[in-house]
Amino acid sequence: MTGKDWQASEELLGLFQSLGRASLLVDLQDSHSGNMSVKWKDRSGREKIVITATGSQKGDLEPSQICFLSLDETDYGHYKASSETDVHARILALPGVRASFHAHTKELVTATFDDADKPGAPAAFVPIDPLGWHVLGGEVPVDWLAVPSGSFEVIETVPRRLASHPATVVQTHGTFARGRTLPEAFYVLNIANTSGYIARLLETIGVDLGRLRTAIRADPAAHFAYPPSPYETEGDDVCDFPDEEEILKEFRKTGNRVFESRLSPFHAGSISARGVDDLLYAGKGAMPRDVGGPLRRLPIAAAAGDPEELRRHKLIYAETDFQTVMHCYQPEAEALAHYRYPGEAEPADRVVPIDAEGGFLYLVIPVLPPKVDDAEFLAKLHQYKVVIVRGGGVWAVGAQSLSEVLHHPSSVREICLYRIGAIQRGLDLRKMEPKKAQKW
Amino acid sequence: MGERGYGFHGKVLEIDLTRGDARALPLDPGLVDLYLGGRGLATRLFYDAVDPGCDPLGPDNVVVIAASPLVGTSAPTAGRGHMVFKSPLTGFIGSANSGGTWGAAFKAAGYDALVLKGRAAAPVYLDISPEAVRVESAASLWGLDVHAATDRMTEGAEPGLRPKILAIGPAGENRVRFAAVVNDKNRTYGRSGPGAVWGAKNLKAIRVRGRLKTAIKDKDRFQAGLDQAYHLIKQAPVTKRLMRELGTAGLVELIDLIRMLPHRNFMDCSHREEDLERISGETLAKTLLVRPGACHACPIGCQRHTRVPGGASGAGDEKGEGPEYETTVLMGPVCGVYDLSAITRANYRCNELGLDTISFGGTVACAMELFEAGALTADGDDGLDLRFGNGAALEPLARLTARREGIGNRLAEGSRRLAAFCGRPELSMSVKGLEIPGYDPRASLTQALGYMTSPTGACHLRGGYAVSLAFFGGAKEIPRFSLLQSPIAIRNMQNLGILQDSLGVCRFTGYAFAADPWSRMASGVTGLDFSTARLEEVENRVAVLERLFNIEAGLTPADDWLPARFASTPIVIDGRERVVSEAAMEGMRRDYYRVREWDAAGRPGPALLRALSIKERRP
Repeated sequence: MTGKDWQASEELLGLFQSLGRASLLVDLQDSHSGNMSVKWKDRSGREKIVITATGSQKGDLEPSQICFLSLDETDYGHYKASSETDVHARILALPGVRASFHAHTKELVTATFDDADKPGAPAAFVPIDPLGWHVLGGEVPVDWLAVPSGSFEVIETVPRRLASHPATVVQTHGTFARGRTLPEAFYVLNIANTSGYIARLLETIGVDLGRLRTAIRADPAAHFAYPPSPYETEGDDVCDFPDEEEILKEFRKTGNRVFESRLSPFHAGSISARGVDDLLYAGKGAMPRDVGGPLRRLPIAAAAGDPEELRRHKLIYAETDFQTVMHCYQPEAEALAHYRYPGEAEPADRVVPIDAEGGFLYLVIPVLPPKVDDAEFLAKLHQYKVVIVRGGGVWAVGAQSLSEVLHHPSSVREICLYRIGAIQRGLDLRKMEPKKAQKW
Repeated sequence: MGERGYGFHGKVLEIDLTRGDARALPLDPGLVDLYLGGRGLATRLFYDAVDPGCDPLGPDNVVVIAASPLVGTSAPTAGRGHMVFKSPLTGFIGSANSGGTWGAAFKAAGYDALVLKGRAAAPVYLDISPEAVRVESAASLWGLDVHAATDRMTEGAEPGLRPKILAIGPAGENRVRFAAVVNDKNRTYGRSGPGAVWGAKNLKAIRVRGRLKTAIKDKDRFQAGLDQAYHLIKQAPVTKRLMRELGTAGLVELIDLIRMLPHRNFMDCSHREEDLERISGETLAKTLLVRPGACHACPIGCQRHTRVPGGASGAGDEKGEGPEYETTVLMGPVCGVYDLSAITRANYRCNELGLDTISFGGTVACAMELFEAGALTADGDDGLDLRFGNGAALEPLARLTARREGIGNRLAEGSRRLAAFCGRPELSMSVKGLEIPGYDPRASLTQALGYMTSPTGACHLRGGYAVSLAFFGGAKEIPRFSLLQSPIAIRNMQNLGILQDSLGVCRFTGYAFAADPWSRMASGVTGLDFSTARLEEVENRVAVLERLFNIEAGLTPADDWLPARFASTPIVIDGRERVVSEAAMEGMRRDYYRVREWDAAGRPGPALLRALSIKERRP
């Protein structure tokens, strides 16, 4: 490990710093915990592990806190590197894996707690949200280990789990995720923690998680709108419209806000603005300011082979006058889409704001079924400007600007949080909702 | 189909001025479904009644005034009327809208729309109430200014039922091409020259009175929209406070801040800070404002009731209304004038004489540039110095213009005809012959495209009030210089304007909300399905019908274009030179036509007409 290594890898340093900051912005870990690593070729072509230093503050990583270690022998860099370096090295040795991200992921760890006698074999975590289900492969293994951090058990168990799953949980400790790139590993980790959050919200609002999971496992297609497009590991710096300076700036601001306000996990969801023939499209909608994602200029006409996500943007533009569209995987909305009023058999088909601001902005927010047809989807979107698709995220439209369309899912988050809070407090939502809302 | 009686009285009053008779016709409920009311309904009735090739100042021109289903309810600002006619200034559709109280009073008299045809042999006024409609001689009113005529016509009114007067002044009588029609003495149907059309028809005024209510079908639904609307109006700074405290003139310094405030006939956008302070809304509020005022059912209250103290010049102490932002800018910096008293007094004269202050200011600015270029000389006995900056010339020019005396006779033709007469047509800052308002198009491509494609010419209200979104639109702020977004952004802005005009409500509500609350209120009042999707259909339908009329009246794509100055002479914004290049105009115009689903020549095709259920012109 030499200081000179850094001079050849400012881009890598920037990525570590950005994702370190991002991990704290969405509260994946405390200031000094967690670690991340990649496989990297130095100037001589030798592969190395690049990993954060032990005890480094992830929100403000210094160049000296990124360690370059030999892959095949112990060198002095191990003194400074993360205490989880050995497990990272084993993960990076898995076929096709070039990055690993570990964080304590409070939401998922809490969601996977149990109070069974130990030692034990905890159940795998089954996501009930569309991103979690599809990206995490239907489940996240959970292992109880007697020494749950840095131990040989961890070194043996975690890579074995990651050979068949993109993420795995060491019970009471945290989550490990792997990827072909560091952003992909972070994407997986962020989604896993969000899935844990959604599961906890569902418990909070009284949804029978066991029954829901059984139903999802029996027929997953019926419970989710469609799978997200496979994660692209290249092209995050592509921008097809550098001359549209103002719009470009708006895209970056909006994508950053989607991420920082947790309207979608990292690189999930999508944002677009339309021209006459083209749409400007960010297919990795939640983009931290200094990470970004591809910004494409695409023909607005539907094309065979369009991913479903993009097809919906084009559909909205083809059938309406709206100028901006946003799709978010907003966790609070996803949870509340499963809410049943006491005594009712089916989930509610609307979210009624109980807060003043929400109530005046949106009299109601429709909740549509996962397989809603295009006509109903468009009609509701047209009328309400924002809709929640159960198992499919939040869709919103704007007549003019990206800022306008951003406001919708951001408001929906607040509205859902107020309702969830009221349920937590044991209040009767029906009594709190405006009577008129039942007719809207 | 809705039930007649909810939102509408179901009656159209048609008056043939040539014959002097009036008849009440049933309002086809299908028209409400398709065109809503106000601008939409008026445009349809106008289109069906008029020959697009008619002389705008001849007897065959038709004037239609319509109210909307919301007028007469407690919907915020819903008291406006809308007037459609063929413009003597542009030769295309004229479309003017006004607040005040007349629109609500007209509807309370029991009618939804008024169609005026023919030409009276001698000056007349109309007297409309639920009990009777009379065509009366206006011999004793002809020649009076708007204020005097209004006072005369309200004399001896029954207590508690004061009639409302809509009248022209001498400018209209003398067919000044940008003459206005005025209600409440100071609220004008200003743009496109409706006053000249009235004058040519020998119609001096319309007096209305009535107490008929507007029935509401679904009160809960209406109330839901109303609650939402009032909440948002009280929440948005512009509607809750700024308009009341500063009036529209409060925009003067804000628009300068973004380098969009025009100067000296749009030569540039550069002003000295101390000059602007002398005419700002803040200065107006501190020096001349007596109290704010509000139109019918308006919680916003932007009116400026002002008082100009007498001065050393010998001018007396005067009270009146204004100036608004547009007046302040067009009669101010666009003429090189930064004298708030001079602007305000000239505004008073325009209100009394019945002149559109925007076109008047724009025409005077054109005259000043022509004068300085040596292309125009004031007629000998006028004795006026027409150089930029001479605020003292404004009042006399208003009088001369309204009376068509001396140089005023040239100004009365508007800037396009004036500049052409002087051999310098490029010095008219107008589109389709209508003078450009107080927002420089070089500072916003969206606003530029709005001026280009407005059906009435360079109008910020009919063409899309893009500036309101570009700089103080809150979450809806749009990029200023985006070629990609401008065509759709301006289409959407224009459509929102059509909706507001067709609902009889004020543009300023747009600072608080767009279509959603209106959808609930309109559906609640009428019992019809006016979902936001259906409202969009109405908007597109009206835009197409206006376009159809213009094409039949001779419009070509060349009319959808800005004056050459905006392509050739840059202004500087944030250190960068900005023009609206011909390539940009060409591209935006092409894309705008496509967004509207018009062909390359800007014509709506048969398929679009069918899709929008637009009936062909009656043979």
